[in-house]
Amino acid sequence: MPEAATKSIIGRSVTKSKVVIERGPVSNFAVAVCDSDPVYRDLEAAREAGFDAIPVPPTFPFVMSNWGHFPENQPVDLPSGNPLDELLGPLMAKGGIILHGEQEFEYHRPVVVGDVLTGESIIIDTYRKESKGRTMTFVVTETVWKDDTTGESILTSRFNFFHRS
Amino acid sequence: MLEKALHIEDVNEGDEAPVKSHRLTRTDFVRYAGASGDYNPIHHDETFATAAGQPSVFGHGMFSMGLLGTALTDYVGPGRLTRFRVRFARPTWPGEELRTKIVVKAKRVEHRKHMVDMDCSLVNSEGEVKVVGEATAHLPGRA
Repeated sequence: MPEAATKSIIGRSVTKSKVVIERGPVSNFAVAVCDSDPVYRDLEAAREAGFDAIPVPPTFPFVMSNWGHFPENQPVDLPSGNPLDELLGPLMAKGGIILHGEQEFEYHRPVVVGDVLTGESIIIDTYRKESKGRTMTFVVTETVWKDDTTGESILTSRFNFFHRS
Repeated sequence: MLEKALHIEDVNEGDEAPVKSHRLTRTDFVRYAGASGDYNPIHHDETFATAAGQPSVFGHGMFSMGLLGTALTDYVGPGRLTRFRVRFARPTWPGEELRTKIVVKAKRVEHRKHMVDMDCSLVNSEGEVKVVGEATAHLPGRA
């Protein structure tokens, strides 16, 4: 795909989803990132730390759409086609590897068990770099997660990844 | 527990958070794959990883960021981060000893809240930087 065509996917929506934050996946995730704080397991501990419900570890939002994602409550106005497949499909067909370049979270209020959040991911940048005879094609997506009840913006996640030929 | 929480008065520029160290195993990768839902075989399937030209399976970048996140919340307390950003500099390999390094860069007031900016990184025992980034937390004041 030429550079101009690569840039044409900027602004397009990748996915939209609604997720329910559940205690089991949160506690299990805390174990996986070596966090033994009882605040992620025990409601009493969470309350003592000033929360109304069990909070999530800071990187849980990256994976939360893999849990508590139920078909019956997904948004109906899903984006048509996936611009990432259009960009990366032809590259992957020629081989190479996809790697995570950078990750950023902005937290507006803590995500807690019981939250129902709606997120939409949009491509905010793409660019290419050459290094040691390899082409790296970068994509940056931004996902804004909102409280499904109040519409309040809870969290923004920026995911920078690249295909390396 | 709230009384024990880190307050803005407890923090000074140049302070370092307690170091969290962890020796990586393949089991960490499998546990993270299961808990995250990221089953990219490059992180758990040795046959796949070597066929793809890698010396072995390697860790999820988000496992590294997660470990750093644990050290951050151990220091500032859960729910205190307002921003957390990293760049993944190098892959992590089974058997490596990873250590967190968190240094307070600045204290400031934003919208009448006490904010602390920190530099953070994850390095191995040879000092090779795996993940480097920054985080901001808002802390309560005693006054």
